[in-house]
Amino acid sequence: MTQVARSTPRRLDAFTLASEPGNERLALARVAGTVQGLGLSEARLERLKTAVAEATMNAIEHGNGNRAEIPVEVEVTQKGDEIVVAISDQGGENAGAGDGDSTGPGGQEEPDLVRKLDGEQSPRGWGLFLIRNMVDAMHVTTDGQRHTIWLTMRTGGAAHDERM
Amino acid sequence: MTSACEAATRVLPGAAVIELSGEVDGSAATVLTAAYEQAVNGDSDLGTVVLDFAAVDYINSTGIALIVSVLARARAERRKVVASGLSPHYREIFDITRLSDFIELFPDLDRAVSQLTPPAA
Repeated sequence: MTQVARSTPRRLDAFTLASEPGNERLALARVAGTVQGLGLSEARLERLKTAVAEATMNAIEHGNGNRAEIPVEVEVTQKGDEIVVAISDQGGENAGAGDGDSTGPGGQEEPDLVRKLDGEQSPRGWGLFLIRNMVDAMHVTTDGQRHTIWLTMRTGGAAHDERM
Repeated sequence: MTSACEAATRVLPGAAVIELSGEVDGSAATVLTAAYEQAVNGDSDLGTVVLDFAAVDYINSTGIALIVSVLARARAERRKVVASGLSPHYREIFDITRLSDFIELFPDLDRAVSQLTPPAA
């Protein structure tokens, strides 16, 4: 019984944002407020905030093309010791690739600082890289035009070592 | 809740300091570029540029790209870039992006300046 109860997802919050540059800060602040007190250390909360901001920025810019009338949807759930933030846009398979990469949407090249400094790669293209390195797990789903990035952070803290 | 990026520059013997405040995101491009140009002012003998982030409360991926651009330009001009005042979170981001391989990090501006400028006679 306890196992079943612990694994049942519990929705903590759900909201939408207009696809306007800068609104990623609203998502960041609201998610941070929602998960406060759930057991994330300060360092891991900062990582989640950065991941949420970057994923929301991608959804606004690349998914919804900065069209304010198309909302970005954000849902925060808790399942056992996992906090999951789902950020959805309407960009389909081409959404959320990242910022200014040289290979275009859907095929982002791994950022390489040395190549960037040598002018062989755009200085941009850090968005997905940051997201991947900030959270315990990240995956992407596409259902028709609906594109969702799922960010998972465990509250126990042991699964993802503190780096500082 | 958002605050535009601002920059104050000053020149010390052998080094220029750019004190940033607010948010380092895409909107900071003009401010950062102008601050760099004002700080170095065409002085080819100016060997080090200090970026102080003590009053910066947000850096996103576009801001990281701007910092990469400043670093690339400084390296092309044979200048060193150092940074001070980064929070632990942004120090971590400088580590995982490898910016800290190319930009020496100091806890605060005083310590950066004291190690970069010659002692007063």
